[in-house]
Amino acid sequence: MSSRLHRRLIALAATTASAALLLAGCAAPAPSTEAANADTATTREVQHARGTTEVPVEPQRVVTLEPLELDTAAAVGVVPVGAAVASNVVGVPAYLGLDGVEAVGSVPEPDLQAIAALKPDLILGTEARHSALYEQLSSIAPTVFIATQADPWRDNAALIGEALGREDETAALLEKVDARCGELADTYGVDGETVQLIRPRDETTLSLYGPVSFAGSLLECVGFTIPDQDWADGLQADISPENILSAQADHVFVTTADPSDDSTIPAAIVQNADAFPSVTLVDTSYWVSGVGPLGAQKVLDDIEQYLEERS
Amino acid sequence: MTALTGVESPPARPPVRRSRRGAALSVVVAALIVAVALSLMIGANPLSPQVVWATLRGEGSTETTYIVIGLRIPRTVAGLVAGAALGVAGALTQAFTRNPLADPGILGVNAGAALAVALGVALLGLRDISALVWLALAGAFVVTIAVYLIGSSGRGAADPLRLTLAGVALGAVFSGITTGMTLSNPDAFDSMRSWNAGSLLGRGFDVIMPVLPFIAIGLALAFLVGPAMNALALGDDVARAQGADVRRIRVAVIVSTTLLAGAATALVGPIAFVGLMIPHVVRWTFGVDQRTIIALSALLAPVLVLLSDVLGRVVIAPAEVPVGIVTAFVGAPVLIVLARRKRASAL
Repeated sequence: MSSRLHRRLIALAATTASAALLLAGCAAPAPSTEAANADTATTREVQHARGTTEVPVEPQRVVTLEPLELDTAAAVGVVPVGAAVASNVVGVPAYLGLDGVEAVGSVPEPDLQAIAALKPDLILGTEARHSALYEQLSSIAPTVFIATQADPWRDNAALIGEALGREDETAALLEKVDARCGELADTYGVDGETVQLIRPRDETTLSLYGPVSFAGSLLECVGFTIPDQDWADGLQADISPENILSAQADHVFVTTADPSDDSTIPAAIVQNADAFPSVTLVDTSYWVSGVGPLGAQKVLDDIEQYLEERS
Repeated sequence: MTALTGVESPPARPPVRRSRRGAALSVVVAALIVAVALSLMIGANPLSPQVVWATLRGEGSTETTYIVIGLRIPRTVAGLVAGAALGVAGALTQAFTRNPLADPGILGVNAGAALAVALGVALLGLRDISALVWLALAGAFVVTIAVYLIGSSGRGAADPLRLTLAGVALGAVFSGITTGMTLSNPDAFDSMRSWNAGSLLGRGFDVIMPVLPFIAIGLALAFLVGPAMNALALGDDVARAQGADVRRIRVAVIVSTTLLAGAATALVGPIAFVGLMIPHVVRWTFGVDQRTIIALSALLAPVLVLLSDVLGRVVIAPAEVPVGIVTAFVGAPVLIVLARRKRASAL
C-alpha cells in the first residue's frame, strides 16, 4: 500500500511540476498566480446538475452510472473501471468492445459497495435516476450528474466530455456524427420520406421514439421525417396495439434483442403486414441503450447498410 | 363424490326468496351482457359503435377487423374465462380459510406461477405467451402441492390456518426470487412485465383454448362442493355431525382453487382483488349460501374484469393500462372499506 501511495505521490508531484512548468512557459503575463496554479492543476471545477464539483484534471478511475456516460467515456479514450449496466446478465454492452470494465449494479440500482471497492476518482451519474444517492456517491469520489437522460444526448455528452477533461475530443466526435449524417443525407437523398422507430414493450404497449430521442435524432439527421405523434417531451409516445396504424411510415425500424429473429416483430405489425411494407429489425442494445458517440456510429452503420441495400 | 353431495340442501325457500334470487340472477346477467358489449365497443382506438357493428357482421376494413376481431373479441373471452375462474376461486378460498380477506393468492398460487414464468424467461429464453402458459400452470400446481404438504405435515388433515401460513410464507419467498431475477435483467423481462401486471391483450384463442378444460373442471368441482361448503362454514364438528367428509371436501376445494386460480393466472397473469372483492359483494347483496356465492361470483367477477379492462383502455389512450393495475386501483379502496366495516364480512 505504502509503495502504491508513494508512486501516486510521485506521479502527482510530476504532473504538478510539469503543469507548472508548462504554465510558467506559456502564461508569462501572470507570474504571480504560480502558487494558485499548483492547486488548479490537479483539479478543475465542473458545473453540473448538482452544483459545482472539483474533479481531477485527468481522471484515471472513472465509474459511470448511465449508458450515455459509459459510451462517451469509452469514445474519448477514458475507459471506465466500472459501469452500472442495463442488465446484470448481459453486463457491459458488447457493441463497445470493452474489456475489463467491472459491472457495478444496474443503471436504476447501482451497487455502492462495488463502486467504493473500485476506488474511483470520478463518478458520473444522472440526477433524474440517482438523485438520492448523490451524497453517498460524493463521499466515495467527486461526482458529476447530468440532469436527465431525457435531455438531448449531444448536450449530455458534451457535459460528460467536460467532466472527463476531454471537451475538444467530445466536440470532435459529435461533429463526426453530424458530418456522417450529412454524408448519408447527400448520398441517399431520403428527404420527405417518413420513418418510425418502434420499441415493443409488452403485450399492451408499443413505444414510438420521437425526434429528440437518441436514435430518432439520428434518423432525422440523415434526412428522414418522423411523423408527428403526441410525444412526451418529443422523446417517446406509447400506443396500444389497437392504434398500430398510427405508426405507419415509409420505413419502419423495430428494436429487438436479436435482429436475426423475425419472430420478434410484434404481432400487431405482422397481422397488418399490408400497412407496413418495410419493417427492419434493429439491435436494442445500441439503438435504444447505446446513447453516445460510439453507439451513434453503430446506429448510422445500420442506417447506411439499410439505405445501401435498398438503393 | 357422495361425500361431497352428502349434505342435504337447506329446506325449500319461501317463494319470496326464490323470486328475489331470480331477480338477482337477471340483474347480474344483464350486467354481464353490458360489460361484454362495452368491451367490444370501447377501446384505445375510438371506433364508432356503427363501425364495430359492421365489423362484427364481417363488413369491416382490414384495420377495424384487426381491432375488433383480432384484439377485442379474444381479450373479451379471456376476461370472461379468467374472471369467472378468479371469482369462484376467491369464493372458495374465503369459505375454506374462513378468512374474509383471503384471496387465491394467499395459497401461493400466483407467486408459484410467476416464479415459473420468470424461470422460463430467464433460463429458457421463452417469450411466447403460449409457452409461458404451461409453465405458469405447472408452477401454480407445484406450489399448491408444496403448500398442502407443508400445511398438513404432522397430524391430521390440513387445517386452513396452517395452509394459509404456508401459502403466505412460500408466496413471499417465491415473489422475492422472482423480483430479484427481474431486477437483475430488466430487458429480458420486458415481455414479462405485462404478464406480471395482468393483461388480457395478446391472449389469442391458441392460448385460451388449452386452459379452458382446467377452468371447466375447476368450476364443475366448485359447484359440486358448494352445498358441502355450507356445512363446513358451521365448523368442522358440525359438518362431520351432518355427515360430511371434511378431509375430502378440503382436498376438492384445494384442487378446484388451484385449477381455477392457476389457469386464470397462467392466462392473464396475476390479477389482484377480483377474487377478494366479488365474493364479498355477492355476500352482502345476496346472502351467505355458498351455492349462491359461487354461482353469482362466476357471473359477476367477469363484469369487474371486463369493466376494469375497458377503463384501462381509455384512461391513457392511445396507450393502455394493463387490467391488473386497474383492478388494483379499484380494489384498494374496497379493501379499506372491507377492513373498516364491522360485521359485513361474516362468512
